[in-house]
Amino acid sequence: MKFRITHTTEYQYTADVGRCYNHAHVIPRDVDRQRCLKSKVNITPRPAFSDKRQDYFGNWVYHFAIQDDHKALSITAESEVEMEEKPNVMSLDFGLTCRDVLEKLKSEKHSEILLAREFVLESPMIRAHDELRNYVTNIFADDRPFLSAVKGLTEKIYKEFSYDPGFTTIATPVMEVYEHKRGVCQDFAHFAIACLRSAGFAAKYVSGYLETLPPPGQEKLVGADATHAWFSVFSPGEGWYEFDPTNNQMASYQHIVTAEGRDFSDVTPLAGVIFGGGESHSLDVGVTVERIG
Amino acid sequence: MVENPGNVSRQIRPILLSMSPKNPSQIQAQGQTQVQAQTPINADAIKSLGLGEHWEYVLNGMGSLGAKGRADRIEKMRRILRDDGATYNDYSIQESAGRSWDLDLMPAVIPSDEWAGIEAGLLERAELFNLLLRDIYGANDLVRSGVIPPEVLFSHRGFLRACHGIQLHGEHELIVHAVDMVQSTSGEMCVLTDRTQAPSGAGYALENRTVMSRVLPSLFRDSHVHRLSHFFQRLRSKLATLVPHTDEPRIVVLTPGAHNETYFEHAYLANYLGFELVQSGDLIVRNGFVWMKSLEGLSRVDVILRRVDDWFCDPLELKSDSQLGVPGLLSVIRAGRVAVANPLGSGVIENPVFLKYLPQISRRLLGRDLRLNSVKTYWAGDSEDLKFIKHNIQNLVVKPVFRGAGESSQIGAELSKSARAELLKKINMFPLRYVAQDYIVPADIPTIINNEITLRPTILRSFAVANDKSYNIMPGGLTRVGLNKGSAVISNQVGSTSKDTWVVASEPQLVKPSPFVDNKGQFRFAQQASLPSRVVENLFWMGRYAERAESALRLLRTVFVVVNGVERTPAVCRNKLLVALTEITDTLPGFKGAADELFDKPDEELLAVVLDPGRPGSVKSCLNSMLASAEESKELLSSDTLRVINDIRDANEGLDQALGLGLVAAPEEALDPLVTALMALAGLAQESMIRGVGWRFMEIGRRIERALQFTTLTRSLLIEELPDEEEESLLQAVFLTLEVLITYRRRYRGRIEMAQALELMMIDCSNPRSLIYQLQQLQNHINELPHLGVDSRELQSEQRAALEAITTLRLKRLVDLTSADDESGKRAELDQMLSRLAHLVSDIALEISDKYFDHRVGPQQLVRAVWEGE
Repeated sequence: MKFRITHTTEYQYTADVGRCYNHAHVIPRDVDRQRCLKSKVNITPRPAFSDKRQDYFGNWVYHFAIQDDHKALSITAESEVEMEEKPNVMSLDFGLTCRDVLEKLKSEKHSEILLAREFVLESPMIRAHDELRNYVTNIFADDRPFLSAVKGLTEKIYKEFSYDPGFTTIATPVMEVYEHKRGVCQDFAHFAIACLRSAGFAAKYVSGYLETLPPPGQEKLVGADATHAWFSVFSPGEGWYEFDPTNNQMASYQHIVTAEGRDFSDVTPLAGVIFGGGESHSLDVGVTVERIG
Repeated sequence: MVENPGNVSRQIRPILLSMSPKNPSQIQAQGQTQVQAQTPINADAIKSLGLGEHWEYVLNGMGSLGAKGRADRIEKMRRILRDDGATYNDYSIQESAGRSWDLDLMPAVIPSDEWAGIEAGLLERAELFNLLLRDIYGANDLVRSGVIPPEVLFSHRGFLRACHGIQLHGEHELIVHAVDMVQSTSGEMCVLTDRTQAPSGAGYALENRTVMSRVLPSLFRDSHVHRLSHFFQRLRSKLATLVPHTDEPRIVVLTPGAHNETYFEHAYLANYLGFELVQSGDLIVRNGFVWMKSLEGLSRVDVILRRVDDWFCDPLELKSDSQLGVPGLLSVIRAGRVAVANPLGSGVIENPVFLKYLPQISRRLLGRDLRLNSVKTYWAGDSEDLKFIKHNIQNLVVKPVFRGAGESSQIGAELSKSARAELLKKINMFPLRYVAQDYIVPADIPTIINNEITLRPTILRSFAVANDKSYNIMPGGLTRVGLNKGSAVISNQVGSTSKDTWVVASEPQLVKPSPFVDNKGQFRFAQQASLPSRVVENLFWMGRYAERAESALRLLRTVFVVVNGVERTPAVCRNKLLVALTEITDTLPGFKGAADELFDKPDEELLAVVLDPGRPGSVKSCLNSMLASAEESKELLSSDTLRVINDIRDANEGLDQALGLGLVAAPEEALDPLVTALMALAGLAQESMIRGVGWRFMEIGRRIERALQFTTLTRSLLIEELPDEEEESLLQAVFLTLEVLITYRRRYRGRIEMAQALELMMIDCSNPRSLIYQLQQLQNHINELPHLGVDSRELQSEQRAALEAITTLRLKRLVDLTSADDESGKRAELDQMLSRLAHLVSDIALEISDKYFDHRVGPQQLVRAVWEGE
C-alpha cells in the first residue's frame, strides 16, 4: 500500500521575527514495515540555510534557518511511503514470558539487548514511578507471555482513559494524565511507556500519522488527518513491537512512522529558536494522508 | 526601545548581564598534618618531615629570606596579582568584584625524574580518554560489547545525543584534558577526577608562574624550572589545525561572561594567545557559518575555544533556555564549518563511573593497563557496589555522577548519623546517579601560612593538550592547598590558596626565545583588527559612567564646602546647589521641591547620594556600573589602567568607611582620592591608550556625558536672574565644580560677571571643560567612526546633530544669553538653547547606540520545551 502524506505547519506571529533556527521531524524514516519513497520540504519564507540529516535515533531531521524579517512561517512536508500489508493476525500468546524478558534484559550481552536498555531508563518527559508499577503488576504477571501482557496494557488504557483533546498540552506530566485518566494519543503513549519502564521493560515513543477513512459514501476531507503517536516495546531476541493505545490495536499498515525516540522531546515535529515575534503566536497544523496505490 | 529621547537628563545603560551557571568544582582530599617546620631548614629536618631532597634548595632559599624577606615578597606578590586583576569570582558574594587570586610563596616542587613517570601516565590517560570520547559519540563499541553497562552512558546527563557522530578534524577529539590528582602518603600519584569539557586552571598556572618568576627571580632561575610556554604554544597550533583549508583561522575564546568565577582566566588566556574574547551575544549563525559581530560588520569565526559548559552552548538543540549559547551552533559544527574545543558533549567522560571500569576500558581501547592509578570508585548502580557503599559510607566520599546539577561531594566521615541516612536514602532512590570513592590521604608539603613554614595537603591539576600525533603535558600544573583544618575539601570556591608547581631539572633547560614562534608549521592568525561590538559598547559606557561619577563628586565637594563652610552662603544659593545636585545625579525627588526641613538638615540625603548603591545615580551606583563595564572590556585595558581601576574600586569600597558613620569634618576631603583616581583614569586614556575604535567610543561617552552634565548644571543654577551678590556666589560654586575658578581669576581679575563666565564656560575652545570643547571633540570622533555601507557624502544623522549643536552655540550672542526676561526674571534664551543642545547630544548618543551597538532581542522558544530536570 502506498500513501502520500502532506503535513503543513503554519505559524503566525504578532510581530516580525528577525531570524529563526529550527529543526523539524517531518520526513518519515524507514522501518521494517515501511519505506519512504520520496519526500520534499517546502518552507516560506525561503530559508537561508537548510540541511537534512539522520539523528542519533535514525530519524530524519530537517534543519533550516531564516534570516529575513517575517510574520508567518509555513513548512510543508510532502512524502510518499510504501507500507507492508501484513495481515494482523499474529498470535501474542506465544513467546517470552514477562519474567524471561526481564531476565534477558538484565543479563544477556547481545548488543541489540544492551542497546535496548537505553529505553528502560527515564527520559526528559518520562519518569518511572512506583505507583505505575503497582498499576501494572497484575498485567505483567511473571508467567504471562510478554506481548500478550502489553496488549493487555494497551486495552486497559483504552478502556480506562478518555480521549479529551482539550485537557492536556504537550507538556502535561504523565502523572497528571494518570490522575485524570484523560488526554490525547501522545499522553497515552507516554503513559504506556512510563508503565512499561516502571516495570523494567524497554519502550520507545513513536510519532507518525494514521490514515483515517471517511464515513461510507463521503469524500475524504483534505487536512482531516492528524499527527499520531503510539509506542513500541522490546522483546529480547524477538525485536520491537508497536502498539496503539488510543485505538486499542497493534500498529498496522495505516500507522505511518515519522520518528522514534525516548519520548516526545526526541521527536518534536518542529522546534526552534526565534528572535522577535512578539508575545504570542498562532499555530495551525494540517495533515492529509492519501492512498496512491 | 532603549532610552527615552525626551528625558535628556539621564540615559542609563541597558544591562544585559549573562549569568553563568553554577559550576562547583569541588575536589576532595584528606585533612591536614600539623607539623611545624623550623627555620633554618637542614637536610635532616627535611628527611624527618618525610620530604624528598629536591625540597632542600627551595626550603633553604625560603629560610634564608627570613621572616622579613618573606613578608616583603608576599606583599609584592599580592600587589602584582591585584594589579593584574587576578580574581576568582565567588558566587556567594553578590555584587562581588571578585576575590583576589591567592598564591602561596612556597612552590610545590617535583623532581624531573619523578615527573617523567607522571607525565608518561598522563599522556597515556589523555590518549585513552580521547578514544573513550570518540567511541561514545561514534561506534559505541564499549556498550555494544558489554565492557561498560549501558546505563553508565545512557543515564548520564552529560551524554548529548545531539552530538552523536560529530568528529573534529585530526587525530583527536579531546583537545585539552585536565586531571586532578593527589600524591598519597605512600608517594604514589592517584587521579581523583578528569576534567574534559572546558577545564579551567591553565591560565591561573601561567599567572602563578609569571608572578613567582618576578618575586623570586634568582631562586626560580637557579632551580631550573621547566617552562610552561611550550604548552600554550601547542594549544595555539592545535586549535589552528582544527579547521583545514583556512590560511588565517579566526579563533575566539567563548566565555559565559564577567560573572563567571574564572572570567579572569578567560580574558587572560585570550590575551596571551592572541584570540578575541567573546560572549554568546557576540556570535551569530548566518548562512551556515558562525560570525562575530564587530563594528566593521561580521567576521567569520573558525575555531571556538569554549569556556561555556556544553549543555549551554546551543539553545536550539541542547538546553533550550540557555542564554549563554549560540542558536544553530551545532548544525554549523556538523557541517565542519566551525570547530569547538573541547567538542560539545565531551563532559560525558567526566562521569566518575568510568573510573570504576577504567581497567577494562583501557584494555579494550588501548590494549594495556594504565600506569597511573585512579581512586577506587564504587557505583551505586551496581548491586554489589551498592551493598559495599551502604556498609562503608563512613569511609567514603559520595559524589553525584553529573556535576552540573548543583550537588557537591559529601564526605561520609563528616556527616552526622541522620545526614548519612538521608544520603543513603537518596542513593537508594537514584542509584544510577551516585558513586562513592575511597579517601586518599594526601601527602603534606611545605606551605607558608602566616609567614611560617608549615605542612599542608595539596591537590595538583595537570593539563594535557593534543598535538598532531599525541599529547603534550604541561610541566607541573596548578597546585591547590587545603587550608581549613579538619576539612577534607580543597576547592577554589571554598577559599583555598594555590601554588606554582615547579618541575625542577638537575640541569638548566634550554630557553626558547619567544613563546610564539611556532617551530612546527607557521600559522598566521586573522588580524585582531575588529572588536566585538559588545566590547566597544562597554568602553562607551565606561566613559560615560566615569564622567558621570566624576561630575557628581565634583559638585558634591562644592556642596559640602558650601553647606559646612566658614563663609555664610546665602540660603537661596545653598538651596539651589542642593537642587542642582539632585538634578545632576538624577536622584529624584531628592531636594527638588523638598520641604524646608530637608534643606536645613541635608546630611542624610547627601550621604545617600554618595553611598547608596541601590539608588540609581548615586556615586556608588555610577562607580559600580563603571567598574562592571571595565570588567567586560578588561582585555583591552593596559596594566596601568587596570591598576587605576583597582584604585577606584578600593576608593569606592573605602567610601563607606570614610563617610559611613555620618558626615565627618570636611567630608569633601574624603571624596578627593576618588576624584584623583578618576582623573588618573581619564589621563591614562589620553596618554596611553591606542587611538583605536575602542578609545574613540570611550571618548565619545565622556564628551556626551560632560556636555549633558554641563547643560544640566547651568540650567539648574544660572537661568534665574538673582541679585549680583548671590549670582556671584553661585558662579563661584560653578567655577569650583568645573575647575575654572583660578583661570577666571587670572584672566578677568575683577568680580565675576555672568557674560564673562558664560564665555569661559561655554564658548572658549581653549578650556577643556567648556561646552564648545566637548561638542567639537564629539564631532571629531563621530567623523572618524567607520560608516558601514555608507557611500554618500550626505551627513549621517549624528553628524548632523553635532553640527547643529556647534552652530547653535556659536551663533548665539552673549548679550542675548545673559539678559533675563523682565516678566519672569529668567534667562529664557539661554535656557532654550541649553535645552536644545541637550536634546541634540542625547540624540547623538541614541544614534550611536542604535548604529554601532548590538541590540539583540533575546531568543525565545518556538515550542516551549523545558522538561529537563523537572
